[in-house]
Amino acid sequence: MNKRRAGGLWTFKEAKAPRFRDKFILLTLMIAGFLSMINLADWWFREEHVNNLILYILLTLIFWWGILRMLISWIGYLRISKPKAIPAPEGMSVAIFTTSSPGEPLSMFEKTLEACANIQYPHTTYLLDDTEDERFRKVAEKHGAVWLELVGLPGAKAGKVNAALKITSEDFILILDPDHIPFPEFLHHTLGYFKDENVGYVQVSQAYYNQYRSFTARAAAEQTYTFYGPTQMGMHGFNAAVAIGANCTFRRKALESIGGHGIGLAEDLVTAIRIHGKKWKTVYNPVIVSRGLVPEDFGSFCKQQLKWSRGVHEVLFAEVPALFSTLSFWQKLSYIAIGTYYINGLSLFTFLIIPFLFFWFNVLPANMYLVNFLIRWLPLAGFGTAIYLFVQRWMCDPATEKGLHWRGMILKFANWPVYLLGFLLSLINKKIPYIPTAKKAARGLSPFARPMMLHILIFLITVCFVVIYRLFYTPESVLSLTSEQTWGMIGFASIAFVMAVGALFAAFESSRLDAAEPWQKINVNDL
Amino acid sequence: MIGSRIKYSAVRIAILLSALALGVLLVFLLTFTGNQSKGPLEDLFSGLGDQINTIENNMAIKVRKKLRSDKLNWFQPYRHNVALLRNPDTMLWGAFDNTMDESFRKLLDLEDSIEIPFPLMHFYSAWGSKTNEEFPRRMVRAIYNLGSIPFITWEPWLSDFSNDDIPGIPSIDQRDIHGLDSIAKGMYDSYIDEWAAKAKKIDIPVFVRFGHEMNDPYRYPWGPQNNDPQSYIDAWRHVVERFRLIGADNVIWVWSPHPAYGQFATYYPGDDYVDWIGIPVLNYGNVASWSQWSSFASIFGKYYEDLASFRKPIILSEFASLAVGGERSQWFSAALDSLPDIYPDIKGIMFFHSSDDQTTTYKSLNWQIFNDSASIQAIRNGQKAWHSESQNR
Repeated sequence: MNKRRAGGLWTFKEAKAPRFRDKFILLTLMIAGFLSMINLADWWFREEHVNNLILYILLTLIFWWGILRMLISWIGYLRISKPKAIPAPEGMSVAIFTTSSPGEPLSMFEKTLEACANIQYPHTTYLLDDTEDERFRKVAEKHGAVWLELVGLPGAKAGKVNAALKITSEDFILILDPDHIPFPEFLHHTLGYFKDENVGYVQVSQAYYNQYRSFTARAAAEQTYTFYGPTQMGMHGFNAAVAIGANCTFRRKALESIGGHGIGLAEDLVTAIRIHGKKWKTVYNPVIVSRGLVPEDFGSFCKQQLKWSRGVHEVLFAEVPALFSTLSFWQKLSYIAIGTYYINGLSLFTFLIIPFLFFWFNVLPANMYLVNFLIRWLPLAGFGTAIYLFVQRWMCDPATEKGLHWRGMILKFANWPVYLLGFLLSLINKKIPYIPTAKKAARGLSPFARPMMLHILIFLITVCFVVIYRLFYTPESVLSLTSEQTWGMIGFASIAFVMAVGALFAAFESSRLDAAEPWQKINVNDL
Repeated sequence: MIGSRIKYSAVRIAILLSALALGVLLVFLLTFTGNQSKGPLEDLFSGLGDQINTIENNMAIKVRKKLRSDKLNWFQPYRHNVALLRNPDTMLWGAFDNTMDESFRKLLDLEDSIEIPFPLMHFYSAWGSKTNEEFPRRMVRAIYNLGSIPFITWEPWLSDFSNDDIPGIPSIDQRDIHGLDSIAKGMYDSYIDEWAAKAKKIDIPVFVRFGHEMNDPYRYPWGPQNNDPQSYIDAWRHVVERFRLIGADNVIWVWSPHPAYGQFATYYPGDDYVDWIGIPVLNYGNVASWSQWSSFASIFGKYYEDLASFRKPIILSEFASLAVGGERSQWFSAALDSLPDIYPDIKGIMFFHSSDDQTTTYKSLNWQIFNDSASIQAIRNGQKAWHSESQNR
């Protein structure tokens, strides 16, 4: 179906280098956006708007925290930069680590290891294996990879990486996720930067090849496009680009300087912040030199997000304070911004709950007319969207990645319970409870869809109740007086309702997704 | 080296400044077009709100057996006839209640207890930049949906305008001095026009009592302590003319001097500009050192001849008595008994039914009569006697 488009996925892509003209337009849009913020603030912070003081303060903090985050991301865009290509010098000793765990499909490793063997720069591939399955060893040997059996180590992937570091000696280590199929030229786009002795790691973009498989996959991919384009390029400009676990080439000395790869749910982020803490330089090269898998079904996606939200908060609460004095200002800001990303679970929940608080408990945080809010908010939303679209010129593969990303927005909204749970679990420092993942053949809705269903149910009950009560029971003396506010609130609640319905669709579609192994169709020798 | 660094900084500053200028220009353009398009956008939303309100109201009318408006069926022909409302052939009753912004319950309770359904409902609306100082669309529509017509006392509080809204506006401490002159000269036209346009759009007859008690030097900033009588007349005429220019012909103008301060002819804007005369009749009893129990005749009656000479229908725009210092029920009886015979030009009575009036004394005054069954009875009897009398004629 998407053959032509999909075929285009398997070629080298790179983000454009920023031009002066682009930056100037960006700065102009930013200033306009900032003035719109001031205009909105001038209206927002008025005594006449306070109704329930506590809720007003809460709503204000959450809303303006979101606006502030947007401003920080804009500032980041101003520093967008792309490192100049440096050819890889000959004679560097390079290892590729990829890991296998029980339950992972063998056929996937066939492709990955075959692709690793095709990487042009001389290297040694290691399979870090704890499956205790003989067939994995055979596959590794078939494709000329060194098979390392590393069973029973704590810390999952990172534990195996650290163990493998002790028994290998290469100066540079590319850590590759097993679902990622590298292009032959991969190492040519990373190794050159290590000529600078201070460079600790070189991260490249993460891209996917199965996003066309489902709504969820598209949505999950859409959520990452901006990050692997303009966001990381901006962070690179501040020497704050983060390692993301996969597709990252490390200098052994950098890993050794922090006592090995970090461990935990956000092991990649922990590693990155520690390496920044040791004053290493880092490089983000916005090139697509491999493609991997994005979660295809709603349940796996939510589970991944739960792990990340729990892990990222771990970084915020444990790593940032410990390393605070060693990080530069922009690194601090960047890690705090990343660490607080998932707090938006709380924001989304607040916006969702406001109409129900009003209808069921007659509590209203603010006396704001929706119309007046919209009039002040729309210019900011307009400039915000303009900037969002404008910076898409720095995506790694604009042809397939550009757009409004509405699916991504729906699933971002749908994840409020996940983000909230991750946030609360990290507040009380509790581990993620065991959540069964639907196996490929299993039908039925993911448990993560339950909050959506509950929300939809509450919304429908509320609407029925409001309609019946107002038709028959609301006294005439208040009926017209409360009409606009009531239906305005229903309208406001409908936004979240539509999002929840979209998310439920994603979950429903996931339950009917046929099991497939998308890597089977890829011919590695064509890359 | 240093020279090139300075040059480098200069270039950077120049880039920043030009981006700043362009950004400001962009916002300026957006705000400018925003002001133009604020109309359509706001119209879109408020039109949507009105439509939903109308649909909801029509559906509720269908499913409900008893409706308040049923009691006012006789008033239906008046509701859509502005000419008849300008010169009515019957007495128009009404009331103000200080809780009506939230609910009309107390007003409806009052009309039930005195057995006089109110064709008019009265409320106060100030000038200014705040949201609740825009045209009171919600109240007007709600009153209309109940079967009545709104009566708005429109108070030109100039101090409530922000500098952004009215360019060149004097500072707040200077603003009220000759404030009526600045209204007459058109300084507040943007506000007046917007209000008038919305009044026109809603297409419901609206009584507007603008700048009331302009002859009282102790109450409102638009009084003679700040303004000449001629300025008042100029401002009044200017406002009415703005409304006419915009085509808000559904507005009925109520000119409202304070009876005790006289000088009516000095402040009268002219027959072409006035539809009704509104007179506040409040008996404070002996609640304050400056007040004493005063009969209806002494508060209103002695000025009637002067007021009737303008040959306009008269409405008692605030009609109430406190209970301290006299017998309230008798006060009402005496007032209502005298109405048809002695004061035939009175065509409207508006109860002032506030439970929390802080405008004249330092304490809160309660003008409500819910617990005063004698007064309720007196009003009921007074109105009935008057009715049967007129029928006998």
